Amino acid sequence: MKRTLFFFLGILLAVTGAAPSRAQSDLPPLTTPEGFAVPQPGHVFSFPRDHAAHPEFRIEWWYITGHLYAADGRRFGLQATFFRTAAPDRSGDLHLAHMALLDVTTGHFLHQERLNREGWDARAAVDRLDVANGPWGLQMTDPVTEQMLLRGGIRGEAFFTLELTPSKPLVRFGENGYSRKGADPTAASYYLTFPRIAARGELELGTENLTVTGELWMDHEISSSQLSAGQVGWDWISVHFTDQRELMLYRLRRSDSSADPASTLTWVDADGRTQVAPFTWTMQSTWKSAKTGAVYPSKVKVVTTDPATGASVELFIEPLAESQELTGELGGVPYWEGACRVRDASGREIGSAFMELTGYAKDLKI
Amino acid sequence: MSTALVTTLLHRVILRQWRLAPRATLLLTGILALGVAVYVSIRLANRAAVASFTHFTDTLTGQSDWIIQAPAGALAESVLPELRRALGARPVHVIPVLEATAAAPAAGGDGGRFGRPSYTLLGVDLIGVSNLARSADGVGAYYGQSTPDRADSAEAADFWEALRAGPQVWISPEFAPTPPRQLSLVLDERVVELRVAGVIPSAPEAPRVPANLMVMDLASLQRLTGKEGWIDRIEFIVEAGPRQAEQRAELAALLAELGRDRWSLSSPGARRESAEVMTRAFRLNLTVLSLIALLVGLYLIFQALDGAVVRRRGEIAVLRSLGVEERTIRQVWLAEAAVLGLVGGTLGVALGWLGAQVSVRAVGQTVNALYFGTTVNQANLSVSEALLGIVLGVVTSVAAGWWPASAAARTPPAQVLHRGSAPAVGARWARSPMIAGGCLLLAVACAQLPGFPLPGGGRFPVAGYAAAFLAIFGGGILCSHLLAPVARLASAWGRRRAPACVALSHLRQPSGRHRLAAAALHCAIGMTAGMAILVGSFDQTVRNWVQRTLQADLYIASDGAQTANAQNRISADAAAALAAHPTVAAANVLVAWRIELDGRPTVLSGTDFAVLQARMDLPWIDPPPAGTAFIGQEGPTPVVVSESFTERFDRRSGDSVRVTTSTGSRDLRIVGVFADYGNEQGSILLDRSHLVDWFRDTSVTSVSLWLQPGVDADTVRADLLAQYPGLSVLTNSRLRAEILRIFRQTFAITYALEIIGVLVAVIGLVLTLTSVLLDRRDELTTLRALGFSRHEIAVATAIEGTALSAAAVAGGLALSLGLGWLLIHVINKQSFGWTLGFALPWGQLAALGLLVTLAGAAVSYGVGRWGANLPADQEA
Repeated sequence: MKRTLFFFLGILLAVTGAAPSRAQSDLPPLTTPEGFAVPQPGHVFSFPRDHAAHPEFRIEWWYITGHLYAADGRRFGLQATFFRTAAPDRSGDLHLAHMALLDVTTGHFLHQERLNREGWDARAAVDRLDVANGPWGLQMTDPVTEQMLLRGGIRGEAFFTLELTPSKPLVRFGENGYSRKGADPTAASYYLTFPRIAARGELELGTENLTVTGELWMDHEISSSQLSAGQVGWDWISVHFTDQRELMLYRLRRSDSSADPASTLTWVDADGRTQVAPFTWTMQSTWKSAKTGAVYPSKVKVVTTDPATGASVELFIEPLAESQELTGELGGVPYWEGACRVRDASGREIGSAFMELTGYAKDLKI
Repeated sequence: MSTALVTTLLHRVILRQWRLAPRATLLLTGILALGVAVYVSIRLANRAAVASFTHFTDTLTGQSDWIIQAPAGALAESVLPELRRALGARPVHVIPVLEATAAAPAAGGDGGRFGRPSYTLLGVDLIGVSNLARSADGVGAYYGQSTPDRADSAEAADFWEALRAGPQVWISPEFAPTPPRQLSLVLDERVVELRVAGVIPSAPEAPRVPANLMVMDLASLQRLTGKEGWIDRIEFIVEAGPRQAEQRAELAALLAELGRDRWSLSSPGARRESAEVMTRAFRLNLTVLSLIALLVGLYLIFQALDGAVVRRRGEIAVLRSLGVEERTIRQVWLAEAAVLGLVGGTLGVALGWLGAQVSVRAVGQTVNALYFGTTVNQANLSVSEALLGIVLGVVTSVAAGWWPASAAARTPPAQVLHRGSAPAVGARWARSPMIAGGCLLLAVACAQLPGFPLPGGGRFPVAGYAAAFLAIFGGGILCSHLLAPVARLASAWGRRRAPACVALSHLRQPSGRHRLAAAALHCAIGMTAGMAILVGSFDQTVRNWVQRTLQADLYIASDGAQTANAQNRISADAAAALAAHPTVAAANVLVAWRIELDGRPTVLSGTDFAVLQARMDLPWIDPPPAGTAFIGQEGPTPVVVSESFTERFDRRSGDSVRVTTSTGSRDLRIVGVFADYGNEQGSILLDRSHLVDWFRDTSVTSVSLWLQPGVDADTVRADLLAQYPGLSVLTNSRLRAEILRIFRQTFAITYALEIIGVLVAVIGLVLTLTSVLLDRRDELTTLRALGFSRHEIAVATAIEGTALSAAAVAGGLALSLGLGWLLIHVINKQSFGWTLGFALPWGQLAALGLLVTLAGAAVSYGVGRWGANLPADQEA
């Protein structure tokens, strides 16, 4: 396990890089010492080109999470992720992909990883969104409507082909999509998100064929940044509120379990405007993984301020199933990533969420 | 009849006999055990040799569902993205594989000995295979293993470092107790140094990693072998799920549809089967030969049991008068045979397992030289094999005991029996020259029948073996008729000596016991000598063939090619450089491509016909018309084929053949047939220029050089070896010696089987004479009373035994001529398709005859001395 840490090392860097920067006046260098590009403030994005891969950067991913519903009311949690990481000497890219599906009714959780070298069985196009890993793939089929097609599955047990149509415009987190993570001027990322995507398609589960619809969240992050010291993991939540607003938070945990000041919570209003708000995170219960021995937060209470009313709100995040751990045989790092519901203080369900919890497995040495 | 009575009688009559004559019983059991052991050991060795044909990828990936490979040559890597596109979202692992063979460099500079350790280098995408469900420890399983030169460290950087490290190889845990840091391997004409990155990881339920398997990353092996962009095959694994079976079938249809002429689709099971089919003729023939000892044993057991019946007629008669039924008597005797078979069979299985540990190497070497690389060096005994051995022992013993049991059952009650009534051994028909003649005629008829076609190609000479059996049986009867003439001949010489008179008087009217002993010995000698004739003829034919075909001074091939299926080549540049050596007068090259024809493997080879015709003389079976042009012809390309090819593919001169090459199908026309004793799968030979066009590959398999007059071949050899350490450079004399060495090694095991057969027959002689003397106890008493000394009695027995052996030798040698002819022209021809010239190894045959006669004399003298001490009336 410890041998294959390489991949998530990079991913952690990029997430920390997404943290909003404290005031820094000096301009970042154009490249890292290895020669990878460094995100620059004031970068002018050009779409659909910037939905595609950026091989001049070291780390990049397209990260889709959300909830699907079948016609008969059955509910599913879905994760489909494509990572790209370059060798430190820029000799080539590796592509890692994760797929996970939770059948909420049965609590049955399926997941699979794929790892391939850039080549005939894994690719990320540079001119348009077209990433693939084995039989899995994500393509933007129409650059005007920004419609996408997601093909995925878990072994021979589940397949899905989903048509993705963004129902809200692209959100650029940080300073117009540019985020710095701390004192190191190279530590930054471009952070682009479709916060609400309407999904429609076919899900083949076991021997059943289901027509599904749902709402997904998609991050695209690009970075070359380095790991900052003292951090052991992070918690990330995206929320789709029933009132068509969204919320995204991450909490960078330090070795003493405290949150790094770079941790942040961002509201997205119905028109796609973002607003940062302070928050507190309280773990209300835990779940222990029998496979990895990691103890993860289970129910979580988040207290923040609603920018629409200025009032303090309590959000209770409850996993739809406890066992949603990706055991990380290939990527090397186990983590919990799962579908949740969100209730307010009165117990009313006000939205759905996806939560990611990393750095809880004992052998994760970051 | 009650089992209790049978058991009681078994105890009282049979076991007492065993207790009283333990040595004879032991010998009999030993013969049976030996017969069973030979069969079991060959069976185990055969099975082990075939089982060692590993589909190597299994150990890495688990069993693939489907495999595609080019019908000839390699597949272009460009089909991979096409396949992935065609597969769409189907959950299928697509695993491209490149396979290469390599050998350990020759030790001590003495190159040229074929059969050094040879390895299969398997090139797979080591990142890609980590996606397979069974992969034990993800990519870390390969990259980042701790090796002696690099301590285990947890840094991510190590992974990347390991990933891009230069050519590195993973070896089997069975390669060495501690993996070396570096490994030298001979690949094509080069010796390469590879870093050992670790051992091949395997999941607990996966097949054992063979000791000769090495794994490299695909791209790295492609670079090392100069095959960038090419792969040998693609394996497909459908991921587990509820629709797996359906998806597997759908995948097969899709691959077949996409493939058409570009690749052939198979499953790993089919590949393993083809390895079995490939070696089947060899294994079947070996199995039949292994039954010889048992066949000889059959005669002897028959004889021993019969002897026991005769000696115990008195007891049986008493039992009969006491009211014991015939059926019970028969049951008791059959039970004795069964017990004997059980004990002998069990011992035989144990002995056979021991023998298999030796014979498996011999079988393995032959399979290596003729078919494919194996590393087998041990044979395991399964319960079913053990049971088979024991059953064989029991069946043989009961079959041999059937007649004696019936004879015992027919014994009249004591009131009717009088002591002197002559016991008749064997049925009257078993002495009839008419029957013998009929058998021989039938044998001749059987020899004319074609072989039995085996599924998957090839023929098995069932009628040929039936002919051999009939000849042995008929010959055995006739041989017993030789005893009287031999006795008359001998008495002309020894008329005045009393012991001779006594001895020969017995043979002038030979008892059934004598006849049987002569037949058994005759059978063993006939088969051994027949085999010697086959090997001698083969030897002579191969010598002539080598003489005619090996005309060049130096023969050069990659030193990596150590087994029949090695793929190592010499690059075109190196071949050109060799031909341009200042001492070289002329050079020719040979390139061999393995192809599939009618679903069976064969070889498409190319050579320069201009040089061939000018410098060499192919051993033609059916020469092409004078003036045939092999290049620049319109229409189908003229080719010549090997004789085995004509047998395997049923095509002769004038027929056409369509073969698939890497650039499509080609039509060929057969214009001639040549003899090739080095290849059982057949080969097609044509001008190399065609193959260069068709395969877009200029590398060659071997180079032959003719040196300028007066140049010393050994000096040139040393010079070339210094330049190309990865090449095997053989002088003409060395290659000839090497070919004959491999050839003889191939036959070593058959010799061993024959010698065991003769050994069994000589032991049989001891048993016969013992039995005869026991029958004649009264006579011995009389002889002693007449003043015969012990020595004289021993001499008399020796003369009897020697004469018997001589008759058997005469008959056996006569039989061997027939069997030799059968083996050469029917059994070998139908099994392997090789035409051999008949040559008699006079020396060997004479030595065999002399040895058996002398052994006969020696053992019968020994038995005679023992017999001279036999007390008159004591039970023994």
